[in-house]
Amino acid sequence: MIEINGKEIGDLSELSSEKIKSDLLTLNMGPQHPATHGVLRVEIKTDSEIIAEAKPYIGYLHRCFEKHAESVDYRGVIPFVDRMDYLGAMAMEWGYVQAVERMLGTEVPRRAEYIRTIVAELQRIASHLLFYGVYAIDLGAFSPFLYAFDEREKILRLFEELSGARLLYNYIWIGGVWNDITDEQLRRIKKFVDNLEEEVKTFHNLVGENKIFIERTANVGVVSEEMAYQYGATGAVLRGSGVEWDLRKKKPYGIYEELDFNVPVGKGEKGQLGDCWDRYHVRVQEIFESIKIVRQCLEGIEEGSIMGKVPKVLKVPEGEIYVRTECPRGELGYHLVSDGGKTPYRLKVKSSCFTHVSMLPEMAPGQMVADFVASIGSIDIVLGEVDR
Amino acid sequence: MSGLTPDISDFASKDNLIAQDDLTFGKWLKNIWTAVRTCFNGMVITGKVILSRKPVTIEYPEVREELPSNSRSRLFNDVDNCIACLQCAAACPVDCIYITATRRDKEAPKLKTDDGTPIKLDLKQYTIDTALCCYCGLCTTVCPTECLTHTTDYEFAQYTLGEMKYDYLAEDIRAWKHRIVKA
Repeated sequence: MIEINGKEIGDLSELSSEKIKSDLLTLNMGPQHPATHGVLRVEIKTDSEIIAEAKPYIGYLHRCFEKHAESVDYRGVIPFVDRMDYLGAMAMEWGYVQAVERMLGTEVPRRAEYIRTIVAELQRIASHLLFYGVYAIDLGAFSPFLYAFDEREKILRLFEELSGARLLYNYIWIGGVWNDITDEQLRRIKKFVDNLEEEVKTFHNLVGENKIFIERTANVGVVSEEMAYQYGATGAVLRGSGVEWDLRKKKPYGIYEELDFNVPVGKGEKGQLGDCWDRYHVRVQEIFESIKIVRQCLEGIEEGSIMGKVPKVLKVPEGEIYVRTECPRGELGYHLVSDGGKTPYRLKVKSSCFTHVSMLPEMAPGQMVADFVASIGSIDIVLGEVDR
Repeated sequence: MSGLTPDISDFASKDNLIAQDDLTFGKWLKNIWTAVRTCFNGMVITGKVILSRKPVTIEYPEVREELPSNSRSRLFNDVDNCIACLQCAAACPVDCIYITATRRDKEAPKLKTDDGTPIKLDLKQYTIDTALCCYCGLCTTVCPTECLTHTTDYEFAQYTLGEMKYDYLAEDIRAWKHRIVKA
């Protein structure tokens, strides 16, 4: 018997663990959570620090984009597809534009193809630099964010001069590109990528090789090869699990066939294959590959027009097409159906971020909350593309 | 679930459980050494940046950045050159351009734009709801007389939505022509 202030309160030994078993605590992570990369809400059930169940809720950024595209003309859709993945808008445009061009049978001038490849790869670099900075912030390191944004700013400045906007470009048009790139800008890109290679090596030394970072990411959020296949993961998530799959290599579009680059895959260097560190490392290596591609394009760029022959009033012949491209975040597919009118009959987008979000419930159980944040960060989602 | 202290094995599937190697004294020492070494490497990088790199930010209200010349910012329509062809309103994906025009009297003096296009319609209203505008630039590319342009003027936040509607026929907005439009 235990006495407190002269009162008997019972025998503590009777309070075995079964009797004070606690319920799971339901916790809302998001939609206004800094670590959910936008407006993702994850309802997690935790037992103290360990997650038993996670359930993502999406739709907070739903803008009826697909339905809206049915009421605007083919050129007017481009500003809307920009707003899906606002961090990789060039790649979004390119996919849509390819779908329309293939249905029209438009021949795109070589110079326009080169410019498209340059801007798309620079966009990939910018997107991965942002991932690098934000992922470091998720895991508690602040200064890498500033370094990455410093470099990213140079790309955005170049895009602003090229297209007029920093994020939502409306630059890649049906048939070509909006503005021509000048020799001075090409020289600046060359100087920039030369400098960037050294910088990214430094970045990787600063974060990727750091013991604290490795402890936080290695063996965390493991996506096995089978799991990646089951969920239909693409992009860096699939490659991080050791699958060599890149549409630029396997199903080349544009001028990727003529370019020489490698597809980096995860090797499980610091922990298990397919953990957060592998996905991080795949993205860092992809920056180098993108630099390689940009260099080849700068050397091979041809003179000529930047706009193919496109009728002023666009009427796409009846039919349907499915076009997929490799975006910074993964594979993006457009299913375009036309009934021969001025507006698309149906435009369906297959987004890679959506499939990646659906992997969270399987990744979460058994993780600490802080590791879950690392997992969300490592799949690099943009909620604009998830909800559309 | 067993006991007071939760265990990962309560929730995790088999795949999520990662077998940890036994920690020996040598590994423990090695861990500490790698942690110290890699953190020191990081500190060297940060230190170099602190000492060598100049600030990249600007002190905004005092120092202003000049936007690139084809930057897409505030829209300006030069109504004297506008022929009310409605192409901009048709191209706009969010329908934020409102135009009203009436046929011009035959007796009225003939008007021409700067590039020689005859003006056949009297512009009665040319309003752009800037709050709706998505700054895509499609309206400026279709403009035949190039009177509708994106300027590099920024900082036009307002307190009410109504103030974001620009009536380009109003005197004060016409005066922008000499302030923000480059020749």
